[in-house]
Amino acid sequence: MDALVNKRVKQVLKGDYDAFTEIVELYQDKLYQVCYRMLGNRHEAEDIAQEAFVRAYINIHTFDQKRKFSTWLYRIATNLCIDRIRKKKPDYYLDAEVRGTEGLTLYSQVAADEELPEEELMKMELQDRVQYEIGRLPDKYRSVIVLKYIEELPLLEISEILDLPLGTVKTRIHRGREALRKQLSNL
Amino acid sequence: MSTCPERIVEQMHEYLDGEISAAHEKELKAHLETCTACQKHMHELSKTIAFVKSASHVTAPEGFKDRVVARLPKEKKYNGVQR
Repeated sequence: MDALVNKRVKQVLKGDYDAFTEIVELYQDKLYQVCYRMLGNRHEAEDIAQEAFVRAYINIHTFDQKRKFSTWLYRIATNLCIDRIRKKKPDYYLDAEVRGTEGLTLYSQVAADEELPEEELMKMELQDRVQYEIGRLPDKYRSVIVLKYIEELPLLEISEILDLPLGTVKTRIHRGREALRKQLSNL
Repeated sequence: MSTCPERIVEQMHEYLDGEISAAHEKELKAHLETCTACQKHMHELSKTIAFVKSASHVTAPEGFKDRVVARLPKEKKYNGVQR
């Protein structure tokens, strides 16, 4: 796969526009999944995953071909997700004023620091619950947990994607697991 | 559990990362045999992982690729400028 991708990258660099669509095809599910689990919203996930591909295309000449392309691509996508999560935060405070009057229909939209009542949690479908709990993790834990347990990437690759020392990745995974354990104590 | 050494929880995480040394594993196992609180902690951590992994795989929606292509800049940017 890596050899094929490197070939496509070279073609794109030579101006072969179509070669890039093959790259999109190869990685679209992976990138979309990361974005979806990070953001918890299909519309935003599509927007950010698309943006990641567009940026990869525009900046492809900066990709070091001695490295793994998917790592580079994941890095673009996770950075965009983290930016989006951070930009979103103030909105939650604005939302808080109207919250409670309308009731929440999309669990994934709940802010990380807001807990649903126990009875609501019990009614939730498993898949909604998983997304809700991932969404409640602080973003620095969320990204490592998603990359490790959803994308099933090795720790070393996660450290390259997030540009963090391996030790920091491990600490964040440990803390992320502990945070989730506490969140799930009523399960 | 407040009396248990902190390193026991660290060892649990080493174990979960598949990076525990033989000596640490021995100590952890011996401790878990005698401490129900740590047993519970370990069990909860394993359950937590299974829970996250139960997230179903999602795939890019229909037409995703075409929508990406539509967003790509059309001008030929790469002629002769890059290595």
